[in-house]
Amino acid sequence: MENIEKKIEMECDVVVVGAGFGGAAAAKKCADAGLKTIMIERSEKVGEKIISGLTIPFHGFLFGPDFIRDGNPPIERPVDGIINYIIKDIEKNDIDIDDSLRVPKPFSPIFSVGYNAFCKAFCEWEVQQAIESGVELRTKTTVVDVIRDNGHIRGVITENNEQIWSKIVINAEGSHGLLAIKAGVREKYPPDTISLADVYVYDMDKKDIDRIFGFSLKFCWGWDEQKIAPPLGHGNGLMVWPYSDSLHLMQDQCLRKDDGPVYNLAGALRGYHEKITTNLPWWRDEIAPKVRLRARMWDGFEIFVGLDKRLRNMPNFTDGMLLIGDAAGLENTELCDGVPTAWFSAEIAADVAIEAISHNDTSASFLKRYDDRIKAHPIIQWAITSTNRYNLRYAQKEHDEKKLKKYIHDGWGLGFCKHGSSALMKITLSFIKKDPKVIGKWIRMYLRYYYHWHHRHYENIQASDGTQKKQKGIKLKSYLRLMDWLLWITSPLIRLLAGLLEPLSGAANPVMKLIFPIIAPMYLWFIKKWDMAFDPLSKQLVQAVVTSDPSIFDV
Amino acid sequence: MIKSFEDIPGVEWVPGTGEFIKVNSDLCSGCGNCVKVCLGSCYIVKGKKAVIQTLERCMECGACWYVCENEAISFSWPNGGTGFKTQWG
Repeated sequence: MENIEKKIEMECDVVVVGAGFGGAAAAKKCADAGLKTIMIERSEKVGEKIISGLTIPFHGFLFGPDFIRDGNPPIERPVDGIINYIIKDIEKNDIDIDDSLRVPKPFSPIFSVGYNAFCKAFCEWEVQQAIESGVELRTKTTVVDVIRDNGHIRGVITENNEQIWSKIVINAEGSHGLLAIKAGVREKYPPDTISLADVYVYDMDKKDIDRIFGFSLKFCWGWDEQKIAPPLGHGNGLMVWPYSDSLHLMQDQCLRKDDGPVYNLAGALRGYHEKITTNLPWWRDEIAPKVRLRARMWDGFEIFVGLDKRLRNMPNFTDGMLLIGDAAGLENTELCDGVPTAWFSAEIAADVAIEAISHNDTSASFLKRYDDRIKAHPIIQWAITSTNRYNLRYAQKEHDEKKLKKYIHDGWGLGFCKHGSSALMKITLSFIKKDPKVIGKWIRMYLRYYYHWHHRHYENIQASDGTQKKQKGIKLKSYLRLMDWLLWITSPLIRLLAGLLEPLSGAANPVMKLIFPIIAPMYLWFIKKWDMAFDPLSKQLVQAVVTSDPSIFDV
Repeated sequence: MIKSFEDIPGVEWVPGTGEFIKVNSDLCSGCGNCVKVCLGSCYIVKGKKAVIQTLERCMECGACWYVCENEAISFSWPNGGTGFKTQWG
């Protein structure tokens, strides 16, 4: 809406559109800096319109907002690995397994590769932290347009034609980006980039989930004709996430492939779900008798936007507005997950908004630093440009089993370290270089998350065996004190080493590629022995954590 | 009145959305792409034109809008506090 008559109904420093994972983090950081921040959410209660079953990967927690790392968000289950079922012939039960991506014991299950969570509960927790920092939350309010003043965005207009003026707008509206299109910043994505995710939630007893899944996700991949994967050749079967007392099953498929026709996804997804739940051996025999359907939902995600150079380089800022998370096209191309990138971009956007307001300059030329920082962020760029999931279509097209296994191994198996090592090494070292004590915060985070997850979901078990608060065996308090002391003593050395190694992180991927064929089989062979040998220690560690005084995990 | 549907458990629809999705029949070619991707069965093709039967089963996924070849479908968010809601996303 161009040059509208200014009728100030509400004025603030920052308007955040959308109270999801990214919006809440951005709003909190702005409010913490003393900016008057209003967050607008269209649903009646926070999180009611967020659809996904998901694992939030570990890098989101380690390198994301401090208040999440150092807090106690509601999680449903830690994840220690992925079991990939590669289904060659479902009728003959011809199924290969790739379970190479898993945390070895004794680290598993406490030191996880991610955490499963309900989006609603998690976002409510985040928003509560933001409110406590001074953010004003307005729910049941749909933003329909931006206020433009000689081309500069000066706020938003709600469905009731209310004008909310602000110095800057942070757009965190999610995948479809309607406000960004309206503001003339971005365009509608082509259907090839959008995945339609069909999600089923099943009730299942905790004990059965513990026994059948433990802490592992189960993914299935197969040829089109197996009819467990939608037939456009993306090779996407299903992903099953174990939660505390429920399972999330997701099938997803791009709306169109390579400019081809739009397939009858409504019929296909229904049919494949039927086939998965009745023919897939482990589901049919072990899961089906023990589950009851709790919910079904679906949504579209802009999964492959990052792989298209033109789309990837569409602006994520303009005069007076910054786009974050899914609204900026930052969905992870392999994990179908946008939470870490939403958190990273939220923090960068908040920093830039704070700088812009303090310089009294919210012009596009000032805000360009946001785009520069997004492009320089190692994890964001890695997450939105990984190609293994996309390349499954070629394995499918050529019916090439070797390729299929390679892409699965590289995307959701140990092979990820051939393309993910540089990004992870770079960001890890940059954090350590800044403050080596962050290592202690990371370790305490894992211990705290596990403690609270366990007691939130296993209260009765704890109460009945009477072990709570009676610590035996490992005395974590002493070890944590020792760790703090060692980190304090060795900080200068660690900082120096991190600084020396950081410039070499770019070489991590090529080196891993070179040595992978030798070390991967060795690692996988040894890990089987280690797991058996260290299983008792893993159990002792779990017992020590859940019976500790939780205050020792505070930072 | 809040609605729910037996085949879509765990989701409720709050009325008062307004016509947040519209089909411009002048632009519609009747290709049926919207019918193919709508998991809520909100569309039918009638007289070679797409027609919205109901928005009460719409989960605002935008799939119909993305696949419309002739830009005949317009998509916006429903009024605040209306449309689908779920506890389990």
